[in-house]
Amino acid sequence: MKRISLIALVLVSVLFFKANAQEPTTDEKLTEVNDKINGLTERLATAESDLSKLTKIKVSGYMQAQYQYFENPSIQPNNYFSLRRARVKFTYEMTDGVKFVLTPEFVPGSLSVKDAYVVLNDRWSKAFSIWAGKFNRPNYEVEYSSSSRELAERSTVIRTLYPGERAIGAKLEYNPLNVPVHFQLALLNGADGITINNASGTNLNTTENKDFDNYKDIMVRATYNLQLGNFGGLDFGAHGYFGSFKSNALKTLSSDYTTIEDVKFGDAVKRNWVGGEFQLFADVLGGLSVKGEYIAGKNASIGFSPVAAAGTTAAIPGVANFQNNFSGYYLYFIKNLGKKNQFAFRYDYYDPNTDITGKDVRVIKYTSADATLASRTSGKSDLATTTFGLALHHYFDDNLRVSLNYDIVQNEKVGSAGLLTEDYTKADGTKVVKGLDYSNVINQNLLTLRIQAKF
Amino acid sequence: MKSHNIKMFAVLTILLGMVGFAFAPASDRITVKGSDTMVILAQKWAEVYMQSNPNAAIQVTGGGSGTGISALINGATEIANSSRKMKPTEREKLKARYNTLGIEVACAKDGITVYLHPSNKVKELTVKQLGDIFRGEITNWKQVGGADQNIKLYGRENSSGTYVFFQENVVKGDYAPSCQTLPGTAAVVNAVKKDPNAIGYGGAAYAEGIEICKVKKDDNSPAYVASAETIKSNQYPITRYLYMYLRNKPTGAMKSYIDWILSPEGQKLVVEMGYFPVK
Repeated sequence: MKRISLIALVLVSVLFFKANAQEPTTDEKLTEVNDKINGLTERLATAESDLSKLTKIKVSGYMQAQYQYFENPSIQPNNYFSLRRARVKFTYEMTDGVKFVLTPEFVPGSLSVKDAYVVLNDRWSKAFSIWAGKFNRPNYEVEYSSSSRELAERSTVIRTLYPGERAIGAKLEYNPLNVPVHFQLALLNGADGITINNASGTNLNTTENKDFDNYKDIMVRATYNLQLGNFGGLDFGAHGYFGSFKSNALKTLSSDYTTIEDVKFGDAVKRNWVGGEFQLFADVLGGLSVKGEYIAGKNASIGFSPVAAAGTTAAIPGVANFQNNFSGYYLYFIKNLGKKNQFAFRYDYYDPNTDITGKDVRVIKYTSADATLASRTSGKSDLATTTFGLALHHYFDDNLRVSLNYDIVQNEKVGSAGLLTEDYTKADGTKVVKGLDYSNVINQNLLTLRIQAKF
Repeated sequence: MKSHNIKMFAVLTILLGMVGFAFAPASDRITVKGSDTMVILAQKWAEVYMQSNPNAAIQVTGGGSGTGISALINGATEIANSSRKMKPTEREKLKARYNTLGIEVACAKDGITVYLHPSNKVKELTVKQLGDIFRGEITNWKQVGGADQNIKLYGRENSSGTYVFFQENVVKGDYAPSCQTLPGTAAVVNAVKKDPNAIGYGGAAYAEGIEICKVKKDDNSPAYVASAETIKSNQYPITRYLYMYLRNKPTGAMKSYIDWILSPEGQKLVVEMGYFPVK
């Protein structure tokens, strides 16, 4: 009996100690869980700190692939697929009020920088900001993103005045918090994207990262947003460009082809223009807008001076600088069709020379007794262009848009047949002499089917 | 392909597309997304409205005011709830995509409430002191008459309209890096409830189980708690409207729903849920 009691006591003791050894107390359990939570909290804090750095970098971008069919017989091949834009935009917001933006463009065969700028916002009134680097010139259609635009390309006047849209310089913006006024004042190199040829046809303005001359151009734009209750809103404003190129020739010819001015190398050849703009947004049957802009002024292209022909003292005639009075405008009508579709129409007109009409082209010419200057005759570059653009967009979602765009392009006609002609080569290699006669409307219509993906 | 055929194809496609899409039927389903501050109110509105209108289908989700407005712009929601006004950049996106400026409907009022732990000796603060606290310039409770304890800050994520409104009207600068951001006002209330040294902010409707801090416009003003009276009389200094944003003027089922929200019946629910009516 004693023996049995002893065995039972030993068994109970073993079980008791075993149980105690396996089951920690509630306090022990709580301490263990607390330690685990503290460990996880520490790791989470480190991860959060790393993640907060990453959230300062924003990446967005878009790509446009397209098929185009050109009706102009002089364009060969007359249809092809191409990548119109492929951009990635990196925005780094270091602290509240300091922003860096870099937008490279990748299209087959080239890599270029579209935007590269820093923005410093004033931290007190939050109304002023200073931009420095390469950014869009202050103009409505220039600053309106290509990914949102309702027609495949910008209007002719904008493409002519602001080639490549961007310019290098500095800009002051004023956007007060409680007043719907926006003001931009920019100081720019002014030669961005513009070709300036010398006597041998070499472009002197190939270095995009610096200026062609010492003259800096000023751009100013002011807009006001007027709310029209539940009807919509009217934005209106004006912009101006005040700049000049360094003269590379000894004469400057005016676009009337009669006025010529003697200048020195390095003198300023003025380029000044002003424009007015409006955008009306109306909540009518699902949303529509009418947008327009008119710009007029004086543009300039730079000539070159007479030079001696190689190995001789005989002068090769130079080309005078050219200052043209121009005007241009565009008018959009855009209508949303339900939530996923949109229709757009644009009438776009650009007259590069308002001093003469189509009937004067080739008739009006500058003749000079100065043998070193070639006779300057009016030509194709003086003809106005009218474009009717039609577009239909379907948005599959916010990221994917398919667009069908058709441009009907009409040139201003010259006075009589044979006065202004061009040869062209057909797809089979046959040359058509004087095939394009500008006494008629040359068929330059263009169909574009584009798919756009953005993120 | 002859150019004539191309021209005909393009013009006909564009015209047919216009006609076809112009008559696309509109959906009766209403989706509402946005402000977390407003989510309990929006859910209540939807629930009560659907009871009396069995054909109505209203789906409500939160996510924050910024998220709601983004969803409105990209077409993912019909109504964006927002506890702040739409930013000019957001309006520009709406213009670019839909050619409208959007419709703003002020549907309720709210007083941003400052939450404290019930054990905190501090019972009232000026707007300036709150700004100093949330900017990290006042870091100890004893600097504002409390115990010698470090202040623990709790706030919302930057997609929240409350975050933006509080920053613009009270903080007037950057939030202190030590301010812990939490997803939703309920989470802020919960955090303050558990931490004797905590301070947080959010909608008045969520203030349960915590001490509501009285707020003074400045040192010489009386301190107020957000209430129907103090908000109506503009005495409570951190008052704001709550908005619903739509892409276009409401029609059909949407118009009926908005009209009902602004009716006495809809506004009664505003009060029931702890918010304040617009009129």
